[in-house]
Amino acid sequence: MRKKEAFWFYILVSPWVFGFLAMTLGPMVYSFFLSLTNWDLFTAPKFIGLANYVKLFTKDTIFWKTVFNTLYYAFISVPLGMAFSLFIAYFLNRPIKGSAIYRTLYYIPATVPGVASALLFKWLLAPDAGMINRFLALFGVDGPAWLLEPLWVKPALILMSMWVVGANITLLMAGIKSIPNEFYEAAELDGATPIAQYYLITLPLLTPIIFFNVINGLIGSLQIFTQIYIMTGTGGASMGGPNNASMMIVPYLFNNGFRFYKMGYASAIAWILFVLVMLLTLLVFRSSSAWVYYETEVRKS
Amino acid sequence: MSRMSMYEKLFVYFILTALGLLLAAPFMYVISMALSSDATTSKLTFTFIPQEFHFENFVRVFTTRLNFGQFLWNSIILVFFSMIGQVFVSSLVAYAFARLRAPGKEIIFVILLSTMMIPSEVTLIPQFILFRKLDWINTLLPMIVPNFFGGAYNIFLLRQFITRVPVELDEAAQIDGLGFFGIYVRIILPLIRPALVAVAIFTFIWNWGAFFGPLIYINDIDKMPLALGVQILSATNSAGQIPPWNLVMVGALVLTVPMVVVYFFGQRFMDQLSLTSGSLGIK
Repeated sequence: MRKKEAFWFYILVSPWVFGFLAMTLGPMVYSFFLSLTNWDLFTAPKFIGLANYVKLFTKDTIFWKTVFNTLYYAFISVPLGMAFSLFIAYFLNRPIKGSAIYRTLYYIPATVPGVASALLFKWLLAPDAGMINRFLALFGVDGPAWLLEPLWVKPALILMSMWVVGANITLLMAGIKSIPNEFYEAAELDGATPIAQYYLITLPLLTPIIFFNVINGLIGSLQIFTQIYIMTGTGGASMGGPNNASMMIVPYLFNNGFRFYKMGYASAIAWILFVLVMLLTLLVFRSSSAWVYYETEVRKS
Repeated sequence: MSRMSMYEKLFVYFILTALGLLLAAPFMYVISMALSSDATTSKLTFTFIPQEFHFENFVRVFTTRLNFGQFLWNSIILVFFSMIGQVFVSSLVAYAFARLRAPGKEIIFVILLSTMMIPSEVTLIPQFILFRKLDWINTLLPMIVPNFFGGAYNIFLLRQFITRVPVELDEAAQIDGLGFFGIYVRIILPLIRPALVAVAIFTFIWNWGAFFGPLIYINDIDKMPLALGVQILSATNSAGQIPPWNLVMVGALVLTVPMVVVYFFGQRFMDQLSLTSGSLGIK
């Protein structure tokens, strides 16, 4: 019986195992091999050792710029988005009428597919006719040319990322709902204001969800592509402008691999991205014991 | 929660309404652009509040030579088969992980979980080469077929659900002569139907707006799914020719509306499942 059970286990998991070998493990090994070669897709790959990595780290100034741009984007948009979500979640959580309507209103932008929101924001961020600058003009502010200025293109992309914090808010609200009411009642007896309650009870108990969102957000924003492809430069193949100020890691990988057919070089970039994602995830995990609070854990004091 | 004073209440409503309007404003602009005439489009004099109401734009994208019907059809095919693959294969694998005992199972499960952290870019180029060798360029297969190997996230989710089904049901079915596959089909699948719907919804959400894959694998306009088709439409900017932005925005709306609908349907459904609480909670 046990033997038969094991046999069926292997049969039933075989689609996933096959997919893992053919779509994940095999390609990973192969892409690492490719990263050590010079290959244009049409002639045979030429083994060149670590030359691609050496070139990326020592000679390719655009690559360094893309790493800087990507980290700039991730490290500002993720915490800022989190803060904005927590801010809204506080108000949504106050006892008000119609909170379901508000929740829906904040959530809808998160449902818009990336291509649609990128096309839309390209318009909203237009220098003169764009809605954002016209809105700023109401307050007498002369808005920048956003996507056309090296200094403002990244802030523009970060601004856009604030539009889609709805998914964060939904998770936070679900977390808030699961906090026992007794905690608040006890705090109220002690005379804590709603804001103090939010800081001292809600926030600490939400840290596991915040943690989850921060990791997901970081991994997602390190892989930013669609917005860059559609909104920056003249779009499409000549993305990342002005002056590479919005060139990020994945668009750069795309250009090298699928425009210039430098498959080896693109593979090396992919591996650096992989290591970067792992390192950052590890870092957030390592730091989590300092700021994430689990209800079931016993604290060392 | 304490009761709020009049002023506090007003303040909360003010903040929520002001921010809400700010987040909703872009939609107004899309709608206004989508309803604009071609004359307005060629002069790029769009207004925030709709001044013209050319509802025929919504018909035009399907009747002129824009292939919109084809884009939409391609998206439907892509999403439909992806859903079939994810629902059936992920649940089958999840059943094995939840119920069957075999040496090496724990290790395989840990590997499965760890694949969730791998960014897809690191497998991108070899996959491209593989699909090119298979002659799958200009087809939807590179986007559809991987779903038939199951998705790690979905497998994990479904495994959690299956472990909640009482084992006694399996045992009773076994006594009645059902094999392992029979138990999966007759007992497990019907009992986890809500979770299967959740997986179908997730798969829809992840694949409906797919852009990167189609961008790499599809060059023929006739084969493109909606997201890529809309982008191509917006990029026909050869030498002074202005893209039909009004029709592009109609496309953006056609792309967005099914997502909103599925989310609404899905959110109510997810609330019933209470995905975010209990044993499935994010810890």
